[in-house]
Amino acid sequence: MEAKDSELVFETVIAPILKAHCVDCHNPEKQKGELDLTTAKNFLRGGESGPVVEPGDPEHSRLFELVHRGEMPKKGGPLSELQVETIREWIVAGAEFREAPKVTENLPTQHDVIPVMLLRCTVCHGPGQQQGELDLRTPVAMKKGGKSGPALVAGNPDESLLIQRIESEACPPREKLLSVFVKRPPSAEVKLLRDWILAGAPEVETAPDVATTEPDTLVSEEDRLHWAFVVPQRTPRATNSPINVDEFVGAGLQKAGLDFSPEADRDTLIRRAYLDLVGMPPSVEEWKKWRERKNSDWYAAMIDHLLASPHYGERWGRYWLDLAGYADSEGGISADPVRTVAWKYRDYVIQAFNEDKPYDRFLLEQLAGDELLDWKKADVITDEMVENLTATGFLRMGIDQTGSRTMNFVPERLGVIGDAIDVLGSGVMGLTMECVRCHTHKYDPIPQRDYYRLKAIFQGAFDEHDWMSFKTRTLQVATPEQRKRHAEVNPPLEAELKSLESERKRADVERQMTILREHYPEQSAEENQETLVALKKADNQRTQTQAILVKKFVTADLLPDAEQPKAVLAARQALVDIENRMIRVRSEMEPPFAIRALWDRGHPSPTYILRRGDHDKPGRLVGPGVPSALTDGRTPFEVDPPFPDGTASTGRRLAFARWLTRPDHPLTARVMVNRIWYHHFGRGLVRTLENFGVKGEPPTHPGLLDWLAVEFVDHGWSVKEMHRVIMNSRTYRQSSRISDRHLAVDPQNRLLSRMSMRRMDAEALHDSLLFVAGKLDDSTGGPPDPVSVDRNGLVSVNRTLKGGWRRSVYAQYRRTEIPTMMETFDYPEMGPNCYERSISTVSPQSLFLMNNDHVRELAAAMAARIEETVVGDGESAPDSGAKVEAAYHLALSRPPSEEERRLGRETFIQLQREWEGSMTGPLEAYCHTLLNSAAFLYID
Amino acid sequence: MSDFPTLQTSRRDFFARTSDGLMGAALTHLLSSDFFGGQSALGSDVSVPLDLKSRQGHHPARAKSVIQLFMNGGPSQMDLFDPKPVLNRMDGKPFPGNVEEIGNQSTAGIGVMMGGQYNFSRHGQSGMWMADVLPHTAKMADDICLINSMWTDHPNHDNALYKIHSGRLFMGYPTLGAWTVYGLGSENQNLPAYVVLNDELGLPKNGTRNWTSGFLPPTFQGTRLRPTGSPILNLKPQFEQPSAVTESARGLLNRLDEIHKKDRPYQPELDARIETYGLAARMQLSAGEALDIGREKPHTLEMYGVGESTTDSYGRRCLLARRLVERGVRFVQIFLEEQPWDSHVDLGPNHRAICERTDKPVAGLLRDLKQRGLLDSTLVIWGGEFGRTPTTQKSGDVYTGRDHNMQAFTSWMAGGGIKGGLSYGQTDEFGHAVVENPVSVHDFHATILHQLGLHHEKLYFNRSGLEERLTGIEPPRVVKEILA
Repeated sequence: MEAKDSELVFETVIAPILKAHCVDCHNPEKQKGELDLTTAKNFLRGGESGPVVEPGDPEHSRLFELVHRGEMPKKGGPLSELQVETIREWIVAGAEFREAPKVTENLPTQHDVIPVMLLRCTVCHGPGQQQGELDLRTPVAMKKGGKSGPALVAGNPDESLLIQRIESEACPPREKLLSVFVKRPPSAEVKLLRDWILAGAPEVETAPDVATTEPDTLVSEEDRLHWAFVVPQRTPRATNSPINVDEFVGAGLQKAGLDFSPEADRDTLIRRAYLDLVGMPPSVEEWKKWRERKNSDWYAAMIDHLLASPHYGERWGRYWLDLAGYADSEGGISADPVRTVAWKYRDYVIQAFNEDKPYDRFLLEQLAGDELLDWKKADVITDEMVENLTATGFLRMGIDQTGSRTMNFVPERLGVIGDAIDVLGSGVMGLTMECVRCHTHKYDPIPQRDYYRLKAIFQGAFDEHDWMSFKTRTLQVATPEQRKRHAEVNPPLEAELKSLESERKRADVERQMTILREHYPEQSAEENQETLVALKKADNQRTQTQAILVKKFVTADLLPDAEQPKAVLAARQALVDIENRMIRVRSEMEPPFAIRALWDRGHPSPTYILRRGDHDKPGRLVGPGVPSALTDGRTPFEVDPPFPDGTASTGRRLAFARWLTRPDHPLTARVMVNRIWYHHFGRGLVRTLENFGVKGEPPTHPGLLDWLAVEFVDHGWSVKEMHRVIMNSRTYRQSSRISDRHLAVDPQNRLLSRMSMRRMDAEALHDSLLFVAGKLDDSTGGPPDPVSVDRNGLVSVNRTLKGGWRRSVYAQYRRTEIPTMMETFDYPEMGPNCYERSISTVSPQSLFLMNNDHVRELAAAMAARIEETVVGDGESAPDSGAKVEAAYHLALSRPPSEEERRLGRETFIQLQREWEGSMTGPLEAYCHTLLNSAAFLYID
Repeated sequence: MSDFPTLQTSRRDFFARTSDGLMGAALTHLLSSDFFGGQSALGSDVSVPLDLKSRQGHHPARAKSVIQLFMNGGPSQMDLFDPKPVLNRMDGKPFPGNVEEIGNQSTAGIGVMMGGQYNFSRHGQSGMWMADVLPHTAKMADDICLINSMWTDHPNHDNALYKIHSGRLFMGYPTLGAWTVYGLGSENQNLPAYVVLNDELGLPKNGTRNWTSGFLPPTFQGTRLRPTGSPILNLKPQFEQPSAVTESARGLLNRLDEIHKKDRPYQPELDARIETYGLAARMQLSAGEALDIGREKPHTLEMYGVGESTTDSYGRRCLLARRLVERGVRFVQIFLEEQPWDSHVDLGPNHRAICERTDKPVAGLLRDLKQRGLLDSTLVIWGGEFGRTPTTQKSGDVYTGRDHNMQAFTSWMAGGGIKGGLSYGQTDEFGHAVVENPVSVHDFHATILHQLGLHHEKLYFNRSGLEERLTGIEPPRVVKEILA
């Protein structure tokens, strides 16, 4: 026994395993996870997550945890069961060494203490306020102290006010804990403060960890050679190198013994291009125009026509809104507060696409619009300043619960920052960053340090220790012109609104009273009054009596309309009428000045790595920087304040945005052209749009991807130019039919041997239904169209004042109230964003299209349009064939085939027989069916 | 193997067959199912297929289905299940410790200790404690396992609800039900795999996010079946049209789609789409049949309290839950409106009122499942998102209720291979914090998955490079002591 135990020491049992399986990645040169396992001393020191063993406790030892779960070693497969068991036994036995290496106990420094101060103290004694004239952000300020004297006496914790106040729980003061979102320091932190003071409050000179001219130890040269981290290669101008999309694609096809599919017929091309670029089919007139045009350049002309349409930005801007995670509410808490001015960012995006704003400029504005012009010290606010600030809304789209009463602690704030970094990473950079918040990336060469360098980029604006909640983080910035219009238009409307609001309240009380009177005539006036009082209370604040009264009321209120007395229906209508009047008045008002922006505030807290992502486990100090793998690893990241003589601003995001939009950036152009390609073909050249890293899929056509990326930059980052390049290609104009040969050689269409058939997404379907029905209100921009939720939970967009509906991009997307139709057809949950929609084919979709009354109403409107056109054509009663013909033109932008025409006429006659006496019914049912058909829903 | 006796499935198989027979041959051979075409959207690395076909778990299952009786608002453990004589003696006295330890973010308005509101007695052969406001549930004590040592991480409803349903404190993560049907699919392709029965009086706090599929495909989210009116949204036409017209229109649609498909060979999506119309039609039949309680015997209805005004609504839903699991539905959740257990005011009468609404139906459900031999394979779970404090709380001008308590609460399980008659875990003498055998929400989830044949570690979904699991990163503990 004894002998065996004595053998259970590091040198004998552990070191050989490490040497054989671990040191390939964990050595002094390549410190994956900042861990070096080549010496006992460095083994004990641990890595970025702290020590790797907890003697006696394998369950809490990283080493055991990771090998036990088979997550390590990365290379060469998992350890044998025996090896894992050996490691466990060694830890259980106390993780002994034959010769324990001397690990010098590091004395705490100011960098152990400052994070504690930031977390617990500086909200009252920091940048915002210095209560008792005390500032605790730096050791110097701590020693200087406040009104009551120095905060600490070096060498004597007991005498130090800091310790006394904390230990007596005078600070942080109990009554303020919740209002300033601070939790008391746990005893380990207090001990740390004591130790530091006892040691004489030592300060060491530590430069933040940033990129320098020295080679990076955590990212190797080999890591930088991953294809996506290397600058896109310009195609050599040799005689036989490809010079356009088709030559790249053709080369691949040829190699597989395939050729391009034949060009799709003209009707198909027209419908494809319209749905692709503007998200709706052509009008019958436009369709006829293009199909009859004789010029050989009709196709290119059509593409130009569509790119010039204002509907283009509504279609392609929506894709960007998905990527940004656009939402009209904050989410997070059940109240789901509405973001009243998020729409300004939506309009900015749509306009940017319509204007073909160069993509580099587009990014620059969204990432650092606040640092482009000194709006704070400007004499006159210009349109450009407003636009720049609106653009930064890009970084404010994630879930934000920090305006709630109880959810504004540092972890929640870090969540908001994390979302912004995720959106930037997955959407713009093609890198998945979420995991790096807690540990070095498992696959990509992104050390945890790089995440916190990125976080430092945002620290000037998003400072978790000097936070602005969503309630306060808005700017009231407007041009003189806006202010003038506002002053002229709004005051009378506001007055009207105010009086309408009191009318509304009265009408609501009347509605409630009517329900009570009609359903419970025996109930006393006092009980009725008590019901009204109780309805105003939250359900958990009601007494038992009140709860019973409310239940009675709700039960009556929920009865279907058919069972409601007339008086109740009238009282409800009266309320709706007033609400509609209020909507009309609101729609006439000038929008508020508020901008949901992100702006640098000029005095960031220091940024510390958070070990394992825990807000209270600070690691070393870092400075701003970019992922090292995307650089040469020996160039410092230069940051200059943008307004040296003006407003204080760190300039970090501006420097970052300029780095990101460099013409030779390895990822920026590639990721965007891949996204454009994806939306045209239903599949990216790199299939994993959000992940160009090691675990992402390599491009199917690397040469083409690089060629497009270079073209993109060469053409001034013009997105519209990319559409032209792609859509005018033979590749894009192919038919989508699958042949036997396709199935055998290219079943997944990786070689692009044909066009991919696709289902309309939620927006295209919604907007196309409206368009075909003639119910599209094509006014643009402004506050989102409100939605209603019926008692079954169906969420529908309200009719506009013009009696129709606007395009779906203008609906209100509150996280908890996504319009049912959109949700049914895969409108995503933004968490925090959506870089690629899933496409489901599920029965609720069929049920919706078949049975929903809104869809039926639109089918009826379409039928009415057909009646109009067809009747207008001749004197005698039009035959059903003409109606069938017209329905196909309208809904499918093509004539019916012989078979379809015959089937249509037969069914039509049958429907007329089955629905005798109904003038409009048969054609409505026919149109409704057509709108349900695969021919309508799928794009060839 | 002997650890996992195979399920007694014959009865249900038999039922499923006869049910198909009753519904006519049309239903017999209809294979599933909804189709999920966007796998590319999800990264290739998932642990199971993305459809609802029934599939094997990771190990033999003890439970085939789950019925979760969710008690939104946070029922009071010391008043219902976990009697505390010391607390009763201290009634009216100040909280003996530091009020910050009560564990809520605000310490304003904390009142004094409040003794249990009801009398307790022991029940069943096991002598399980239960309050006298739960007379019917008490009769089933020997089938119930009380877990008195549950704890959670947040004292707010919103976050605690996210936690108990999805294992995370924030919105946007898949719920237990979604994970379950992702892992196991469903045994009935004509009904939704994951059904939610909410209260007619309104949605629970957090609304539909209580049954979201989060980042999992929408196929796995809960579907609400309404006990009255159209059971599924848009299940029936919302407009007037002769049924012959509906038939003809459907015929036309079939023909048109066939023509479309014929011209476009090898497009599986088109087949899948046609199939969704078939499933929609079958669902109209199946859902109608499953929800029709007209054929239940009078004594069954009585057992659930159907027809009695206080218990009718909840009783109907409990009965429906049985009918659904009987038909192979995998996961059923029953919710109350808003959060009735959240008794900051008038706890005594308010809790009593909810017990009156739910006690008889819940006991009826257990008894009925047991009689039909379904309790062995159905895991029934009762509980809320947290518990309540031993102290009163000021609300308005009164101190008549209890505040939220994340440090201890009681949930119970029955059936599905859980040991009946067991009271597991200990709280301190006030019922305020767990002192023995703590069960975290992750442990709770891991245990439920375990009974369903799923291993919490092996059930994952790869989302942008992260392997996401219901039970998070730190390994949870399957509470083996409560397994039969």
